[in-house]
Amino acid sequence: MSLNIARPFGTKPAGSSGWGSAVTIAVRCVLGLLAIAIIFQMLIVVEARPQDLITGVHGMIDLIRRAMPPDFSQLPKAVWPTLQTLDIALFGTIVGVVVAVPLALLAAANVTPSRYAYYAARAIIGFTRAVPDLVWALLFVTAVGLGPFPGGLALGVHSVGMLGRLFAETIEQMDMAPIHALELTGARRIQVFSHGIVPSILPSLLGIGLYRLDENIRSSLVLGFVGAGGIGFQLLSDMNLFQYQDVSLLLIIIFVIVLGAERISAALRERLA
Amino acid sequence: MLRVNDLSLRYPNGKLALTDFELTVEPGELVAVLGGNGSGKTTLLRCITRTLRPSAGEIWLDETNLCALEGEKLRRARLALAIIWQHPSLVRRRTVLANVATGALGRHSTLWTTLGGLPASELEPARSYLADVGLADLAEQRAGTLSGGQAQRVSIARALAQRPRVLLADEPVASLDPEAADEIMRLLQRLARSERIAVLCVLHQLDLAYTYADRVVGIRAGRIAFNLPRSQVSREEVRQLYIHEAA
Repeated sequence: MSLNIARPFGTKPAGSSGWGSAVTIAVRCVLGLLAIAIIFQMLIVVEARPQDLITGVHGMIDLIRRAMPPDFSQLPKAVWPTLQTLDIALFGTIVGVVVAVPLALLAAANVTPSRYAYYAARAIIGFTRAVPDLVWALLFVTAVGLGPFPGGLALGVHSVGMLGRLFAETIEQMDMAPIHALELTGARRIQVFSHGIVPSILPSLLGIGLYRLDENIRSSLVLGFVGAGGIGFQLLSDMNLFQYQDVSLLLIIIFVIVLGAERISAALRERLA
Repeated sequence: MLRVNDLSLRYPNGKLALTDFELTVEPGELVAVLGGNGSGKTTLLRCITRTLRPSAGEIWLDETNLCALEGEKLRRARLALAIIWQHPSLVRRRTVLANVATGALGRHSTLWTTLGGLPASELEPARSYLADVGLADLAEQRAGTLSGGQAQRVSIARALAQRPRVLLADEPVASLDPEAADEIMRLLQRLARSERIAVLCVLHQLDLAYTYADRVVGIRAGRIAFNLPRSQVSREEVRQLYIHEAA
């Protein structure tokens, strides 16, 4: 049995034009060559030398041998930097949420009170997000000196951008019908906000905030490398002093923190959904 | 009482959506508005709630001309004017009771209600409005878990919590099955009678208008085609409203 598929009058089936199919093949060839060229320039620019990996194996094995077994006697010494790392992330997340919520309300097209406020809020969010947290940390270390505080500030400012954008998108996707319905009951603007907008978006905002905390914990580990305190700073010091058994202990702690934060954050977000 | 005098609305693109519209809805009366798509039914309700600004005419809510109000005065006037939409528009994550009580928010300006708290004095009345619509046992349930008919009844209870003098309904039964539709219309009729509320209800179902309305208003191309007691409305007149649309 043959299928007779109806076509609108005057149209041709796909691929019926000889010129059309030749152009399509040519375009595909060009795109394929372009992709290959991009991959080649990438390998050249990053100076990729797989043979170095093979020759470097000996050094890696030596490093791992010297790092084993981890020196668990140094565990009490690692408690304070670990707490610093977690608190840097918490500080950064709280600062980020507190600043990002009002910014997001200005930056969400459906609830913003004015166009100027909208563009100003979008500009702040874009700028704080575009500059990486590591660069913010370098700037704050220069401004306020070494320690966990510049780390917290760096994560806070960067989180404003990241959270501001996600919060604004969440608000823009909110169902506005209940909000308009509440406005028409004669409720005041602030009541419409607290009784309509907040309950509608709060679970999403908390979920995003928790996810950001999880990200910030990972980031705060790295910020120590530029002098912003926490476990990263300890890790760098031990590496410089060739204390590899201490380094392996710190890596285990980092692994536990990252995994634990990820699991707890995921579980809490699941409950909020 | 709701009175609409010489109401006209012209959209920025020049299209006339309403022309010289005259309508009165007395307390205790249920008036059904019939008309084809784009005839101006919803536009009329939007003008009355002042979400659209009429080009000409007046809308009187008792002694207040809504067209002359702005800002805080308009907000206060809206307290007496409740509206039920085709889709119930509840805050899905809040409880049924909270949704009903928010209907009364406009009368409270305490710090507590500003911060998201419900006015304590409105909780008992909210429960009784829920009982009126037959949903007392669902008070603590999340609004997002309700069926379409239940959600619509909650939105009616919220409207009652407003203690309105005029109740507008924009196709309140359009998305409901016939049984639920009958239930909602019976409820609106009962509220009009017992609470002396003026009810203006946009409908598409002619049979519901014949059964529950005191008066039927037909709209065609933004003008009143007829405004008659339901017993005097012929099916032919109603059919003409929709034939015009098809043409």
